[in-house]
Amino acid sequence: MKEAKKKKKPETSIGVSISALGAFSVYLITGLFLAVGFWVIRNIYFVDLISDPSLTLRLLWIIEFPIVVVIYSLFRRNPEKCSYFRAVGRSIVGLISGALINAFGAVSLGAPIGMQSLPKTIHWSFLMSVFTVVPASAVFGASWTDWHRVFASLKPTGNVEYMILIPAYGAIIGGWFGAWPMPLDWERPWQEWPICVCYGAIGGCIVGQIASLSLMILLRKHKNMKLA
Amino acid sequence: MTTAMTCTRLTIFTVAGIFLQIIGLSIFVFGFFPVKPTLSGVSGSDSYRDPFCDSSPISNESELHHPEKLKLLYQELSGISSKYDRLILMVIDGLPAEFVLGKDGKPPWKVWKESMPYTQSLLANGDAIGYHAKAAPPTVTMPRLKAMVSGAIGGFLDVAFNFNTQALLDDNILGQFFRIGWKMVMLGDETWLKLFPGLFMRHDGVSSFFVKDTVQVDRNVSRHLPDELNSDDWNLLILHYLGLDHVGHTGGRNSPLMHAKLKEMDDIVRTMHLKAMMDRSHDQGQTLLIIVSDHGMTENGNHGGSSYEETDSLMLFIGLNSNKSDYASATNNVAFQVDLAPTLALLFGVPIPKNNVGVLVPGTLSSLRDFEQLRALELNSWQLLRLMQAQIQSSSFPGFSCNCFLDGTCEGLDLDISECSGDKEKQLICLFRNAAVLHGIWKSKKSTESSSAMEDFSRALDAYNTFLKTASEWLASKTTEKPVLLLGLGVGAMLISCFICATVFLSLFKEVYHEPKDQVCSLSYLLNLEEMFVGALLLILVISMGSSSMVEEEHYIWHFMVSTFYLLLLFKTAKSFNFSKGMNILRDFKFGSIFSLLISGRLLRGWHQGGVNWTYLPDISKWLQQVGSGYVKWIQLISNFLVIVLGLYTLFRTGSNRKSVRILAFVFSTCGFLVLLHAGRYQDDMSTDFGATVTVKVIYYLLSISAIGASLVLPWSARNKDKSFLAEVSDCLYLIGSAYILCWCLLQLLLQQPINSGPILLLLLQILTILFLSSNDLQVNEWVEIAALYYMGMAGHFALGNSNTLATIDVAGAFIGISSHSTILSGILMFIITYASPMLFLLSLVMYIGAKLRNHSNSTISTHRETSLGQILKLKLGFPCLVPLCINSILLTAYTVVLLLMRNHLFVWSVFSPKYLYVCATTVCTYIGVCIVAATVTYTFSVTTFLRSNRTRHNNS
Repeated sequence: MKEAKKKKKPETSIGVSISALGAFSVYLITGLFLAVGFWVIRNIYFVDLISDPSLTLRLLWIIEFPIVVVIYSLFRRNPEKCSYFRAVGRSIVGLISGALINAFGAVSLGAPIGMQSLPKTIHWSFLMSVFTVVPASAVFGASWTDWHRVFASLKPTGNVEYMILIPAYGAIIGGWFGAWPMPLDWERPWQEWPICVCYGAIGGCIVGQIASLSLMILLRKHKNMKLA
Repeated sequence: MTTAMTCTRLTIFTVAGIFLQIIGLSIFVFGFFPVKPTLSGVSGSDSYRDPFCDSSPISNESELHHPEKLKLLYQELSGISSKYDRLILMVIDGLPAEFVLGKDGKPPWKVWKESMPYTQSLLANGDAIGYHAKAAPPTVTMPRLKAMVSGAIGGFLDVAFNFNTQALLDDNILGQFFRIGWKMVMLGDETWLKLFPGLFMRHDGVSSFFVKDTVQVDRNVSRHLPDELNSDDWNLLILHYLGLDHVGHTGGRNSPLMHAKLKEMDDIVRTMHLKAMMDRSHDQGQTLLIIVSDHGMTENGNHGGSSYEETDSLMLFIGLNSNKSDYASATNNVAFQVDLAPTLALLFGVPIPKNNVGVLVPGTLSSLRDFEQLRALELNSWQLLRLMQAQIQSSSFPGFSCNCFLDGTCEGLDLDISECSGDKEKQLICLFRNAAVLHGIWKSKKSTESSSAMEDFSRALDAYNTFLKTASEWLASKTTEKPVLLLGLGVGAMLISCFICATVFLSLFKEVYHEPKDQVCSLSYLLNLEEMFVGALLLILVISMGSSSMVEEEHYIWHFMVSTFYLLLLFKTAKSFNFSKGMNILRDFKFGSIFSLLISGRLLRGWHQGGVNWTYLPDISKWLQQVGSGYVKWIQLISNFLVIVLGLYTLFRTGSNRKSVRILAFVFSTCGFLVLLHAGRYQDDMSTDFGATVTVKVIYYLLSISAIGASLVLPWSARNKDKSFLAEVSDCLYLIGSAYILCWCLLQLLLQQPINSGPILLLLLQILTILFLSSNDLQVNEWVEIAALYYMGMAGHFALGNSNTLATIDVAGAFIGISSHSTILSGILMFIITYASPMLFLLSLVMYIGAKLRNHSNSTISTHRETSLGQILKLKLGFPCLVPLCINSILLTAYTVVLLLMRNHLFVWSVFSPKYLYVCATTVCTYIGVCIVAATVTYTFSVTTFLRSNRTRHNNS
């Protein structure tokens, strides 16, 4: 089993490629859906992140998840062996397991445990999972070596892997920094868990997207220069 | 660094740095925290006598415990007739004098003036005399109340040292009143009840906790007022209204609520004036009404600092019926807040409190006769002179002897009035001499001619007032001034020592990490994630110390950062995850250990909701106490048991079945069961049972004997010949280290509150886990591991319920097993309880060194054959000693600078100074821990080397 996977590796690394412009449009679409999500929440449900974080987060990930799956499943590893629907299916598994991982991380860093904050934590971790794990699970599936190479060794190859790796880490680091204002005594409503962490994660994700785009452009230039 | 540092040089540099740090710290502490010149004891009848007379008691004072007799004695001795026998002290919290008296000679603003019509009419009639009473910083309620009643400007340290009581133990005016049998009633801020427990006949305290409440808090005071004004069983009625302060806090000076609040205060003044003072139906002398505020407020309604707006407090005397109106009409009379104490003392015929630095408020005397006025000033001068005597050496008082001014017999002193000059001390003595001489002249020819007597009288009065004013200012400046030179020296020394520590650390760092791999370019080295994180954490801590709310909530930083560090470890381990090797038991253990670190860290964080602002949030300890004390008991028993099991496991894990190990294990388990016994039997009833005390003492002795004995004896008992030198030392150190931490854990289980036994177990678990991880190649550098241990210790410190306020110190535990009251022993126990976790992690360094050595001896057995003892010691002991010292030194120095910058901050006394005390105590803890580690390791190495050389010589011969 292990050996089989290992052998697969050289083949699987050739996936569907994408240009920087394509990546930009992917980011644009996902960002648009996020914005639409916020709009829907504000104008149809008349709540926002501060007044009802758990409903808002739930709606956000429910809106964001399908589009992320739909887009990233296009870039799945060895598409000839793995059907599109299989990629969709495994990204659902990825969503749940990613939510578990994110929830564990958040709780171990000090997120409150209790009946009151439980729904918030759950929906927050689903949203984080959409940002971090779902794209990767749609693309890599159960290929652990790819996961390990990209997320642990930080050695992505190709634009798709940049698109997976950098925004995901951006979201995590952004969320980490977003937790900073929580203990301060400013008495602002957004200092509650998980509001500012959520803002931080979205901000970090956007920064990561920008970083990945610029990295793609830079690397392409580099490659072109090398070729020339 | 061209040549590598030798062990000796390293040690010398480090020790020098530490000494410099200690010196700098002590200089800074003595410079920053005013240590006031305190005279102990309480003023008695001898305060009515010349300070140069030897203070033999006038009559048998023991007979005078009867209040009425004491009162008569005081009256007789003072020679001042007291006209009043009832006093109403109305404290309006946070009322700036500007609201009533105006500023710079101008009347107050119209809106304020119109809010208090009755008070203003009293002032206009001359029935009331108002003063701008300057308050000393910190302008917060409790120190101000203390200053008002004791006349002393307290330091910060006396708050800190009175950890177990908030009661005012110094001589104060309320205590003096109590001694002459006054009945006192207090309505208002419960701070008074904390300061004077048991002094009040009736009281109704309100809390100043709910700042948003501006109405009810004052209604709760006023509701008793009609009854109290009707009854005549009290001598002193204290009313402390908090509402105005609350209005200020919520809306500032110009809050829309201010008008109504001032009106309410004015109504109360009118009620009291009409009811208690105009109404003479009681026929029991006169009532004096004094309205004071403890401090002012800034434009935004805050207070605590030293700006004019905050220190401008009010002192208003109503009912002095003075015939002179030049004080009454003026709106810019200036006094000091501390002047209240001597004024009250002299007006009501009690001795002036011993440490008073205030002077009699000038306008309050005018109703007295001439000789009484001078007598009052004389008494005040004597009291200040006594205080000065404590600070000026007696040789500065040449030829002063008992009553010599009165008789004109002072040796070597011509009774001429001289111009006073020279340095301040000389000037003060000269001023006093002038006043005393003039007083004597006036007394001697009082009966002769009236015109010159009048002139003499005013001269004597002026001379006394000059002396009092100068002396008071001098004494006050002695207590509040911050000697810039001392502070600069202290900070400078600390900076230098910090620099020395950092240099030594860096040189060792270069030697250890860069020598073997020169080709590693420095850029990739910088990108090492954990090292960067450890450094960044230090930086974040330093930055966060500048914010008062982050100081209050410091535990969040520690827990957050330590958990992040665990996650980084997880990441690092995942990174080195190699698929080709397949499943590996060790690797799974590694993951499991990191997960257990994460979980235990989270449990520790959730155990106590520390800090200041969010203490009400639920946490594990609250939950456990809610569901029943039985669960706490169970947790205690289980963790006690598990600590014993873990300890035995650790001891026998070395694999050596030596006799000494077995003895150690036996003593250890005996102690463990004794602790269990103590927990099971005695902890419920907090009585100082004899059996409990004996048990605890036995445990103390057993634990200290086993820890010290292990460290002294174990190195000598190494008998294994076929082991290498390092392996032998490592075994020994490992055993000693485990003996240390196990004894420490048992001690903590005994001393800490039962609820804290869970965290102790978790901390022990964390230490064992991280030692396991580090001995199985954690892939982080040694110094990062040690820094992590230090950080974990600090996180554990907060997990045990500590915070940066002095309120969380567990005072009750400090008396366990002590049969007689001893401040030193209780202090040591308190230190042990408070610094349980940092000390535990520092002690674990011994074990850590042992584990590292064993790893080392397994991998490279023969490489260190040739190297000298010093070299090995430097390599093995360098980081474990230097890293905690460096981290602590950086934090201490940074925080000292922060404190210096924040010296005028609103919260400098409530937040920053307590934190500084904690930082100092952490420094002491680090020194002790590092000393123990260094001594143990050096001792073990030397003994083993000695034994080896002996053995080889024996073999050779």
